Amino acid sequence: MRKGILIAAVLDDDCLTLDEFARACAVRREWVIEHVREGLLGVPGEEQERWRFGSRELRRARQIRRFERDFDAVPELAALVADLLEELAELRAQLGSGRFD
Amino acid sequence: MQFKDYYQALGVGREATADEIKKAYRKLARKHHPDLSKEPGAEARMKEINEAYAVLSDTDKRAAYDKVGRGYQPGEEFRPPPDWDENFEFSGTGYGSDAGSADFSDFFAELFGRMGGRQREAGGRQSEARGEDHHAKILLDIEDAWRGVTRQLSLRAPRLDAAGRVTLDTRTLDVQIPGGVREGQLIRLAGQGSPGFGGGPAGDLLLEVHFRPHRHFRVNGRDLALDLPVAPWEAALGAVIPVALPDGSTLKVRIPAGAQSGRQLVVRGRGIPGHPPGDLELTVRVVLPPADTPRAKELYEAMARELPFDPRATGGD
Repeated sequence: MRKGILIAAVLDDDCLTLDEFARACAVRREWVIEHVREGLLGVPGEEQERWRFGSRELRRARQIRRFERDFDAVPELAALVADLLEELAELRAQLGSGRFD
Repeated sequence: MQFKDYYQALGVGREATADEIKKAYRKLARKHHPDLSKEPGAEARMKEINEAYAVLSDTDKRAAYDKVGRGYQPGEEFRPPPDWDENFEFSGTGYGSDAGSADFSDFFAELFGRMGGRQREAGGRQSEARGEDHHAKILLDIEDAWRGVTRQLSLRAPRLDAAGRVTLDTRTLDVQIPGGVREGQLIRLAGQGSPGFGGGPAGDLLLEVHFRPHRHFRVNGRDLALDLPVAPWEAALGAVIPVALPDGSTLKVRIPAGAQSGRQLVVRGRGIPGHPPGDLELTVRVVLPPADTPRAKELYEAMARELPFDPRATGGD
């Protein structure tokens, strides 16, 4: 099945709302709210309606969800592992090891 | 379609208890989890493990699988008998609620996708629901990020046919990716995820950007890093050196006199373009000319004789 050329939009130019973000992570919106309230996911601003999520938070949230699901990890531990992996990826990128994932 | 031995995938016997299955899964997940493992093929192996665990950790699915799989060997051609799942009552859809259905095999889709389909039929009128978002990774060259690029992607996605069975479709998309994307950034293709149900809108396709390793450049966000080889006299006396950028243009960089190997120079705003653009980070690498001719040896000997220089005394490298 082929279609015409699709124009991709960079997520950080048009960030996701709470509902869009929950859907993209395949989680309930309550899951997102809990993780934001616990400080495990970052959003600018206090009001829920104004929360906007970019690439980094989406990548982190999906990782956290996988660790919670695959290892029964508590959210804090899952977030800690996601933080460490992010730091590892940055260090690898700086070293130019050629393995950025 | 080939039969999949889920017990073998988790390395447990057919009589394994739920606890043993969970332990085996955890152990394998730690080893092959794509977030943790750097082994090639870890993602594919984790999908197998997740699929096996989705079946064997669910009492209903395990019982159904045991019934239909009796006597089959892994890899053997498999065709489930008609109505094999009669009298099984399944909770939820065939796919686990957390598991990405696109991640599972045709074998899983044939067995458990069908259950989901039947349940939906039995459930009567479907309410309107938006389709799932899909995720995929896209590998770009640094040059593509600079200029933007049109890429052809082949993606596999499950589709519910008229009989309520899940089949896996391959579709090809031509996607225009804007310039200035960064490593790890997500780009969104609206409406290119799963189709919606009952007239609901389709989900989106989200692509995570990764860069292929480049021969010369390293990427960190929009910053580009490059080792800059220089001759000893360029480093000692200072020089203006042309640097070829990934977009084909050339940037003239001034090396200050006395630059040592390892010295870092930053050219602001000359990394990958964007808002804001990245920086170009250069690391000076002094390369010695070989002393492989009488004249070259003579020049080195003249320096040794005439320059009062002790690299150990100055802490030089």
